[in-house]
Amino acid sequence: MSNPILLIAAREFRQIAATRSFWITLLIIPLALAIGPIASHFMEKPHTRTVMLIDPSGRAGPAVAQRLQLEEQRGLLSALSHYSEIHGLDRADPTAPWAQHDRYYSDAEVEAFVAAGGVAHAQALMRRVAPRDLPQFKPGDPDYRIVPTPPAIAASSPAQLAKILPPLVNPPKKERRAEPLDYAVYVPADFGSGRSPVQIWSDGQPQGGLMAALQDTLTRTMRLRFLEAQGLSPATAEAAGQIAPLIVINRPPAGKGQEQVVIRSILPLLVSYLLLMSLMLSGSWMLQGTVEERSNKLIETVLACVSPNQLMYGKLVGTVSVGLTMVAIWVACAIGAAFATQGMIADFLRPALAPLAQPSVAMAMVYYFLAGYLMISMIFLTIGAMSDSFRDAQAYLSPVILVIAMPFAIIAQAVLRDPSSLAVRIMSWIPIWTPFTMLARLGAGVPLWEVVGCGLTLAAFIAIEVVLLARVFRASLLSAGSKPSLAHIGRLMRSRASA
Amino acid sequence: MTALLLKSVTKDFGDKRAVDDLSFSVRDGEVFGFLGGNGAGKTTSLRMVLDIIRPSSGRIEVLGRAPGRENSADLGFLPEERGLYRTMTALDTITYFGRLKGMSRADARSEGLALLDRFGLGSSAGTKIDKLSKGMAQKVQLATAVVNAPKLLILDEPFSGLDPVNQGLLEAEIQRLSRQGATIVFSTHVMQHAERLCDRLLLLAQGRKLFEGTQDEARATLPARLSVVSRETPLGLPGVITATEHADRDGWREWDVRLAPGSDPGDLLQACTERSFALRRFEQSRPSLHDVFLHIVGGEEAHA
Repeated sequence: MSNPILLIAAREFRQIAATRSFWITLLIIPLALAIGPIASHFMEKPHTRTVMLIDPSGRAGPAVAQRLQLEEQRGLLSALSHYSEIHGLDRADPTAPWAQHDRYYSDAEVEAFVAAGGVAHAQALMRRVAPRDLPQFKPGDPDYRIVPTPPAIAASSPAQLAKILPPLVNPPKKERRAEPLDYAVYVPADFGSGRSPVQIWSDGQPQGGLMAALQDTLTRTMRLRFLEAQGLSPATAEAAGQIAPLIVINRPPAGKGQEQVVIRSILPLLVSYLLLMSLMLSGSWMLQGTVEERSNKLIETVLACVSPNQLMYGKLVGTVSVGLTMVAIWVACAIGAAFATQGMIADFLRPALAPLAQPSVAMAMVYYFLAGYLMISMIFLTIGAMSDSFRDAQAYLSPVILVIAMPFAIIAQAVLRDPSSLAVRIMSWIPIWTPFTMLARLGAGVPLWEVVGCGLTLAAFIAIEVVLLARVFRASLLSAGSKPSLAHIGRLMRSRASA
Repeated sequence: MTALLLKSVTKDFGDKRAVDDLSFSVRDGEVFGFLGGNGAGKTTSLRMVLDIIRPSSGRIEVLGRAPGRENSADLGFLPEERGLYRTMTALDTITYFGRLKGMSRADARSEGLALLDRFGLGSSAGTKIDKLSKGMAQKVQLATAVVNAPKLLILDEPFSGLDPVNQGLLEAEIQRLSRQGATIVFSTHVMQHAERLCDRLLLLAQGRKLFEGTQDEARATLPARLSVVSRETPLGLPGVITATEHADRDGWREWDVRLAPGSDPGDLLQACTERSFALRRFEQSRPSLHDVFLHIVGGEEAHA
């Protein structure tokens, strides 16, 4: 390798790769990705909330427990239905409730599902038609679990309960029990009479699911009592309580519609974010190197061996290599994680990777990524050539980073909400934001003419940028003294002379 | 053959003329001194030779070719303002610059090691630059300039900032390369170094050439000075402009005599003999390059 550009690029690469900050940033992202789920696994409170029912009458308690169980199964049925739909397993039993995806399951349907064997039965049916490598449906932890009521508490009066229960649901820190109690519910025998209220003890605002189950069960009991008091037979009154409408939900199939936009946009958005991250990092390292060359009076020695253009291109190639190496390592970590976990991450990545199945989209992503890198690195490089110290560079860098990174949050949100909104489309045509916007939009589908048009505009912009900034770069390398003003930079861009 | 040729070279920076119609040539194998005060245009001229900057007008030939990076394999350059990559090792630094000048990796490394050994830094080959002393780093910098055994070595104020030991090392290296046939051009404003090293020299002020020639030719531009001890005043003898009396011992008086430019002290001695002008001492004092510099450049700068 005797090409000076490659020699310079290799030296830049080695210099950056020799820094501690390079390795820290390189490893910090996979580490953060790994630590995040592990930490949340350890830190998260058990998802299942414990409920103690104090029910002197002995009737309301079982009814509430049954209701909670029914809601639990409704949630499972719904999740199973989604799983069946996205993996195409409906054919295992087209008549099963989980093969019907267009509804809010009624109590009767949930009860039939449970009676037929619930999740275990459905899984057995699905296994017959599922591909071998398909991860099995994993039911989540139940939302609530009823804990037995100690006899002493069961026999207590409301006044006594008011003293006994608060420390149980909200114990002082040092007395934290292995299995804390989340809710204690007291349903007096004559609830609804207006004399004594139903009471809940909790360490915060009770969850909606518990409240809905409690409200529904107790209201139904009261309605039953009322109807019976009106002279209806218990059977008729019971039947009246069961009346419920069939609610059909109209939505695109799972994995389509807004869900598709979100899932398919995840990878492009991630790529866009990676571009931004690696750009900022490798750009600032390269900038430090260029500032060092200037402040260490190295430039003249280097320029005696290579032309300013060779120096510039060598630095650009070196920086782009550093950035791409970082991205490659991060992607390798992600793939490694996907293989290691097999289940969740792979499951999550598969639909997100769908856009890459189209070669044109994959090519466009690579193009915009590289073009974005080149465009921004060139700006960093020129700033480095104009600055005697990192503090000098900061003065130019801050506004540049602001301009580049500020709209990123807007782009991400706008792309997820409406990938073809006017604002996002306009931003796609502004070269400095084109790579980020287009990378983020590509997953949701962009018309070909826009992909090509924006790509060509970006290429033209980069060509002009390289010509103009190369003039500033060449003229700034050997100049000493105070950092040039914007007007001076403008003059340097217009002047054709290299020195 | 001419190693370096500048023909009517002018360089303007905006309204300021840094180099004005400069012409000179350096012959193969010569040690050529480029002398001038601060701001005389020395660095600008050398940068043009290296194609770091381009002249506004005029022609430059380096080893028979136009200036450009294609010459870098045959060139060595030590800039006035020096620096190295702090995190690179001494040997890697020399190898890197050797390779930028077109050497193979193996050649650059072996030559780098040989240079480090010669400069007494063999054991520091793997040491990072920021761990070396300033003097050691200066040696490494010199090694980067000469690693490719250049045909033309250009040194811009090479002695500035060097301690006496490294100044000696640099002089020895210049003489070694010169013996091997390299052409050496160096700029300086320290005349002692030029006096010891230069075959020929050029004096520059305000971007213009004031003198080009050998050291003897340079000295000849100054009126010859003599220290004479005689009973009579030398005033009136042929060529004598002034004679200042210094001391009187037993009737013998010591005179500081200045001759008119171009006058030969030998002619004066002959006249003394012919006229039976009694002499006890007749000593020609050779003007230093420093005196020549002050005479030529000082006068020019006083006019400016």
